[in-house]
Amino acid sequence: MLQIQEVEFAYGGSQAVAGCTFDVPDRKVTGLIGPNGAGKSTLMEIIAGGLTPSSGRIVFDGTEIQGLGRIRVARLGIIRTFQTPRELTRLPVMENLVFAAPNQIGEGPLQSLFRRSRWAAQERELRLKAESLLEWVGLTKLREEPAGSLSGGQRRLLEIARAMMAEPKLLLLDEPSAGVFPAVRKLIAERIREMVERGITVLVVAHNMAFLSDVADDVVVMAQGKVLRRGTLSEVRADESVVAAYLGGGHVGGTS
Amino acid sequence: MNLLAEAVGFGLVDAAVIALAAVGLSLQVSVTNFINFAYGDFMSFGAYVTYAANAAGLNFFPSVAVGAAGTGLLGVISNWVVFRPLMRRKSRTLILLICTVGLSFIVQNAIVMIWGPNAEHYSVTVGNALHLGPFLFTPGDLILIGVAFTLLLALHLFMQNTKFGTALRATSNNDDLAQACGIDTGRVVMWTWAISGMLCAVAGVGLALETNSLRPTTGFNELFVVFGAIILGGIGRVYGAMLGALVIGILTEVSAMFISPVYSGALAFTVVIVVLLLRPQGLLPSRGRSA
Amino acid sequence: MLYFIADLLALGAINAIMAVGLNLQYGQAGILNFTYYTFVAIGAYIGAVTTMGHPPVPASEETFILQWNLPWPVALVLAGAVAGVLGLFMVLVVIRRLRSDYLAIVTVSLGFIVWDLITNYVPLFNGANGLFNVPYILNGATASEITYTLEVFGVAMVVLAVCVWVVRSIFRSPYGRVLRAIREDEVVAASFGKATTSSRVWAFVLGCVMAGLAGALLVFYVNAWNPQGFLAEESFILMAAIVIGGPGNYWGAVLGTFVFVELLSEIERYLPNFGNGALVGAGRAVLIGIVLIVVIRFRPDGLIPERWLRWYRVPAGGGQGGAAGSQSRGEPRRRLGWPWLGQRSEI
Repeated sequence: MLQIQEVEFAYGGSQAVAGCTFDVPDRKVTGLIGPNGAGKSTLMEIIAGGLTPSSGRIVFDGTEIQGLGRIRVARLGIIRTFQTPRELTRLPVMENLVFAAPNQIGEGPLQSLFRRSRWAAQERELRLKAESLLEWVGLTKLREEPAGSLSGGQRRLLEIARAMMAEPKLLLLDEPSAGVFPAVRKLIAERIREMVERGITVLVVAHNMAFLSDVADDVVVMAQGKVLRRGTLSEVRADESVVAAYLGGGHVGGTS
Repeated sequence: MNLLAEAVGFGLVDAAVIALAAVGLSLQVSVTNFINFAYGDFMSFGAYVTYAANAAGLNFFPSVAVGAAGTGLLGVISNWVVFRPLMRRKSRTLILLICTVGLSFIVQNAIVMIWGPNAEHYSVTVGNALHLGPFLFTPGDLILIGVAFTLLLALHLFMQNTKFGTALRATSNNDDLAQACGIDTGRVVMWTWAISGMLCAVAGVGLALETNSLRPTTGFNELFVVFGAIILGGIGRVYGAMLGALVIGILTEVSAMFISPVYSGALAFTVVIVVLLLRPQGLLPSRGRSA
Repeated sequence: MLYFIADLLALGAINAIMAVGLNLQYGQAGILNFTYYTFVAIGAYIGAVTTMGHPPVPASEETFILQWNLPWPVALVLAGAVAGVLGLFMVLVVIRRLRSDYLAIVTVSLGFIVWDLITNYVPLFNGANGLFNVPYILNGATASEITYTLEVFGVAMVVLAVCVWVVRSIFRSPYGRVLRAIREDEVVAASFGKATTSSRVWAFVLGCVMAGLAGALLVFYVNAWNPQGFLAEESFILMAAIVIGGPGNYWGAVLGTFVFVELLSEIERYLPNFGNGALVGAGRAVLIGIVLIVVIRFRPDGLIPERWLRWYRVPAGGGQGGAAGSQSRGEPRRRLGWPWLGQRSEI
């Protein structure tokens, strides 16, 4: 589905991603873990089109996507969530969801004026779909609330529902379980598994091992901008080099 | 050649005034992260307070000190009343910008209400013009340049050598980090408003002296030249602002002499736009991320 | 008194067109345009020079370009088009590169440059003296003052109705939602594949077209125009009025403009001048500044917030039973009427 090949990215003099290579297999959840500063978030940003790698290729469904920019990457079906949830804070939850649907009729100025009946019909369908997604993540009651008034966990759920609204082929989740209660974390993990059953491929950055063992088929460990190890979570946890990386990347010193 | 030298000389006087204002604004922008449209009116305010103190019988230089203190106070009060609550609420830059426009309305028109819309003059003489090498200066011009130079040098020493200066630089680099390091960023912001207010009051007085007239719009009309200077120097970079002031001061005077004075305003605006579009980080090479 | 009201109505309708246009730019698309009046001025000048023909008295030394003699509706459309094209140029140059606050500075600067050019370069629009003898439209040359005022009011209301229709359609359509999304968070909008640049460009251009239309109507109404009417301050006041009224909500924009641009300046005209001769005008500006800051502080969404407008009403009827059922459980059925009567949603 997605191949990351020798991707490098320098960031203010330091090599944040230093030759990273791995595959994200189709219809699986791939976890991406590693100590703080390993380059996970930078890599996610590069895949999502927000940053252009200094070298290397990213191949999605057979096409190279590095440096295409957020918009075109998103239009190919790669949808992301953000490390700190980024809702459209002053818009109602419902609008936050409906907005995400791809290729809407009436997104251009002229269409909005002269193809009213077309987009009005579409609006009805999108709303139904959004309703069902809200129910899916348990936010139905908050439908009309401004997204900015939601709690941290609710925002994570909204981000996931919003990403689903965009009909992704590949979903990039950046720490979807950070800072939420265990019950919500369970719910999020469940929902991610359901997405995979619907045929979506997921790449997820996470720190929480319990969460990862619930969702990930496979994990990739990054340290200092490189892939250190790949395997199932239990394999990886047993690996001494991984443990060493978490305890300070080979140096003596603080951990995350 | 002689004309060019004279124009450059006038440009130096301009640059001294612009540098004072630009450094003050740059300081404030670097700490508060929004651009202040009321800054020009702060300049007018300082000049008017100076005028009032002078007219009340105080000597000229003490009057300038009164003007500076008054404007510093105005800065601190605006921060307390207007900006601090909004920044606490994490309002967006755009909203803060609109607030500065509102503040500009208030200050400029309060000046009109207090001192009237007509031009005023300081009752000081700037002396007769002297030839100094190829340049043509009045003693007043020289004092102005001297004062500007002294103040900027003092600010430089203050920033580099005092604990407060360090706190200020830390806050302008990264205020969350500074706060985490135990710096009272609220106090830093307050003093920044005070210092930038004082600097701009002196600049306002200089501006009024230089053009020999003081109107409620004097400062506002100069605002975009000051913007030009800080944009040239790189927004929020204090030393860059000095360089920008020098460039824009000389540029406008030279163009006024050789093209036409009516378009010198347009020239400053063109500089603003071109620099923002082509080199938004300013003329100086950009510093590394961890400066 | 009757004339006062008629005048208030006519100018109010023209100002409302500007409010609706600027609100599309700022309230919906989030572009802070501090030089909206420049586009009003351009529209006014184009409206003038395409209807004035040759200067009536050849020796009057009034110089201006074009000197056409078009029927006024054509001139009106042309004024809107020219303002729109200029807006397109401006926004194309700046929008991709600049953070929103720098963009605001650039808009002010461009406004000043245009103003400098118009006032100093006489052959273009007669310089700082402005234009006189702009012809009346309709039967204005023969009608009484009050009839003419009401006629202009009528024409302006028609234009306003078209503008409101456009803005309202955009507000409710997916396009409007994309604009709001960009306004809230451009990165998020881009991350969902929305065309961030072109959406904002078109909103800006449409706003400028409305400015041009309003400008042309204004010049037809007052029959003369001069650059002093288009100082940066006017743009600031208009922007302030919109922020106070409620950015995003076109009703708020219209109300804010009516009260702060229109009513205050009309009242100012009828107040005796006292003090140092500029007290009343300055007082109005101070008042606007204070209200602006107080509103931003205590009512950040403006007097009539955007959330009072209904986002989109799923049309009743049509649709399958399932859809209708879920709607009735869905959003509260508020009709769009007078929005200030609508219930507030809790925050």
